[in-house]
Amino acid sequence: MPGFILRRALLVLPSLFGLLVVCFLLIRLIPADPAVALAGDNATPAQIEAIRRSYGLDQPLPVQFGRYLMDVARLDFGTSQFSGRAVAEDLAQRLPATLELTVAALLLGVGLGIPLGVLAAVHHNRWPDFLLRVVSVAGIAVAAFWLAIMLQMLFAMRLGWLPLRGQISAGVTPPAGPTGFLTLDCLLAGRLDLLADALRHLVLPAVTLSLGGLATITRFTRAGVLDTLQKDFVTYERAVGYPRGRLIWLYVLRNSVVATVTQIGLLFGGLMAGAVVVESIYDWPGIGSYTVQAILTADSKVMLAVTLLIGLIYAVVNILTDLVHALIDPRLRETR
Amino acid sequence: MKGMTSMEITRRGGAAMALATLMAAAPRARAATPGLMVRSDGQPQNLDPHQVFDVPMMGYALNTYDGLLRYQGSPPTLEPWLAVDHTASEDGLDWAFRLRPGVAFHDGSPLTASDVVYSFRRVLALGKAPASAFLPILKPENVTAPDPLTVRFRLDRPYGPFRAAIPIVAIVNERMVRANERGNDWGAAWLAANEAGSGAYAFVPGSLTPNERLDLQRHEGHFLGWADNPSPVARIAMRTARETSTGVLGLMNGSIDFTDSYLPTDQVEQIQSSRIARVERHSSLRTFVIRMNNARAPFDNVNFRKAMAHAFNYDGFIREILKGYADRNPGPMPNPLWGAPKDAAGYAYDLGKARDFLRAAQAEGVNLRQPIRIHIQSQLEQTNQAAQLFQSDLQSLGVNLRIVSDTWANIVTATGSAETAPDMWIHWVSTYFVDPENWVGQMYDSRFHGTWKASSYYRNAEVDALLARARGLVRQEDRAPLYEEATRRVMADCADIWVYNTVELRGVSNRLANYRFCPVGSGAEMRWLRLKG
Repeated sequence: MPGFILRRALLVLPSLFGLLVVCFLLIRLIPADPAVALAGDNATPAQIEAIRRSYGLDQPLPVQFGRYLMDVARLDFGTSQFSGRAVAEDLAQRLPATLELTVAALLLGVGLGIPLGVLAAVHHNRWPDFLLRVVSVAGIAVAAFWLAIMLQMLFAMRLGWLPLRGQISAGVTPPAGPTGFLTLDCLLAGRLDLLADALRHLVLPAVTLSLGGLATITRFTRAGVLDTLQKDFVTYERAVGYPRGRLIWLYVLRNSVVATVTQIGLLFGGLMAGAVVVESIYDWPGIGSYTVQAILTADSKVMLAVTLLIGLIYAVVNILTDLVHALIDPRLRETR
Repeated sequence: MKGMTSMEITRRGGAAMALATLMAAAPRARAATPGLMVRSDGQPQNLDPHQVFDVPMMGYALNTYDGLLRYQGSPPTLEPWLAVDHTASEDGLDWAFRLRPGVAFHDGSPLTASDVVYSFRRVLALGKAPASAFLPILKPENVTAPDPLTVRFRLDRPYGPFRAAIPIVAIVNERMVRANERGNDWGAAWLAANEAGSGAYAFVPGSLTPNERLDLQRHEGHFLGWADNPSPVARIAMRTARETSTGVLGLMNGSIDFTDSYLPTDQVEQIQSSRIARVERHSSLRTFVIRMNNARAPFDNVNFRKAMAHAFNYDGFIREILKGYADRNPGPMPNPLWGAPKDAAGYAYDLGKARDFLRAAQAEGVNLRQPIRIHIQSQLEQTNQAAQLFQSDLQSLGVNLRIVSDTWANIVTATGSAETAPDMWIHWVSTYFVDPENWVGQMYDSRFHGTWKASSYYRNAEVDALLARARGLVRQEDRAPLYEEATRRVMADCADIWVYNTVELRGVSNRLANYRFCPVGSGAEMRWLRLKG
């Protein structure tokens, strides 16, 4: 197993390098000149040229890329051309918010999607199955921004149960905790009132972000369970009178979720990408909204760093997915 | 769920109930924080007023920093601020400003002429956006402080807009910024995330997540005092709302008190009918213009340009799309500003005249079948609406207009040369300083070619000469006729299509009274606001 992990980890490096090369070239293909955007509204051509020189943007592409690679090797992602702060500092401040949202959405998707998938399979071609199929198709089809606005209208405006936007109430000073994860830091600081406030703010963005994943997991689990229910061992266990609940939740489910686990791994990357829209609508202070701003202002250092970061997270999640596969199915361990 | 025991159900149900109770008991910020108001109108990209100069920065810097002079009211007038008075020599080269005594920065240290000198030198050294008004006419060594309460400027040549541009420069605390300089950066890295001002509100350290959240606290020691305001806002929470819909919903449910000033017109009625908020409407100095690349065919033909100007449905756009919340502005200068010729009628929507001018252009060799492209700013729906309306009328004239969705950064880069500048594009010209130079001066003098403001690449030696003369005079009464004449000529040449002067629409909670609007900063100066209840 350690050899397997090492092999997979080493494979990540060339993938990330390739990602960096492609992104660097793509960003340079965008006609926007960051020096122009940086110089501001009333800048003269001479001012723009001076800024271009000071950021090394007048150098040939290979030189710019070489310098960037050397900086990245030292974990220096440069300075955001707009916030004027180190990109690493901005990311460290924002990444926990995105991870918090993504993990919450994933937990919702998995926590509800797997039981619902089992429910649909067990009631195959009966009304719960029909209902869940309709709901899951709708869940995949519905646009996140539309759903977000509908949820805001219902739960924040009409019912007033949940906050409209943001990560915590405006008049509240969040604890400067050690992890950067707001909910965790509130907990560590013993501030249950702030934890509750943060959780209330998390609900709508997490539900919005989770819906597509929830639908996917439901459908994959349903298909997996349906397939397993046809297996001989299930027929045998049923024949000997093994309790139906235990049979389904312990044995059938375990034999059905390999494909679902793969989906969960893929889903994590999808949720990080989906967070761009959700964060913008709910004003969630994560890397999604940061990336949108960077694209609009041609802030290339930020775009590259975010791409690299998401690529890295995606790679790590894929390795973890493979490990979970191996834990679920001992045969996979043996073949590796 | 047969597999779950009743104890498990009880345990899980209990946990869920505890969580729900915890969430229901969460504090309500408004109740917990007296004197708080929430703004959703965006933050500057970074907090250094010498690096960034745009509308969000004005909304921040007008509250945290002071300048020598300040624009107040609408139409705006220059008022004494840190400087109690100033003088200019007859030739317009020497300027002296006498400072108000007893002004203190947020850290309690006194504001002196040395801070003013440092601030101007810093702007010139950083060379970013606010510097453009001063770089051509002011050398750092020519800003001096003969005594702690006097600042002198010696200009390289007379420059009429100098006084109007003075409020651009925020005065920073020299001692604080110097203490945080790294190499030759003039403290740029530090001030991008900190504050060193003397304004009515002070930045709350640790409250910044760039472009997301930022808190300001009332500065009780502000030089103006607070006697005129019995219930000022104590704390300002700046929370950027990226989606207009979120900002408006926040205003309607009381979680936001102050939106940006570009509300979509279809939201106005909804807000006005609510009991908790209103829309503040004020004529601004922000013109909406459709640029034409005069250096490229077919726009290098004046008859073709005039055909375009007659083909835009000004009234339809203002009445139907903007619901009347704009004032027709037929020239490049905002109607209320001095230097705008009152006798210039401009161009009217008339497809018959447009056809006549197209025929004239065709007779002069213009290829009318050539497709032309108009670039819109994808994030600003109004630019798309204007382009679509235009496209529909031009189609009836046989002109093929293609709409290209683009970003500000891309377009501005392209405007760097006449060859790469778009055929047409749409933008607003905001009030950076209240002087005709901000509009007709920087848009149509060929010396500014290469900047986005001069992106129509209009060239007329007589206009250049008029603008250069106006720039070299000091007295407004001497300069005004020159700007008026230059504007008339630019309009006669139909360099661009000038559409309207903005009516700014800002959603404001009814908790806030005494809102004061000034086009410079779009009414975002908070010290005048009174909090009810």
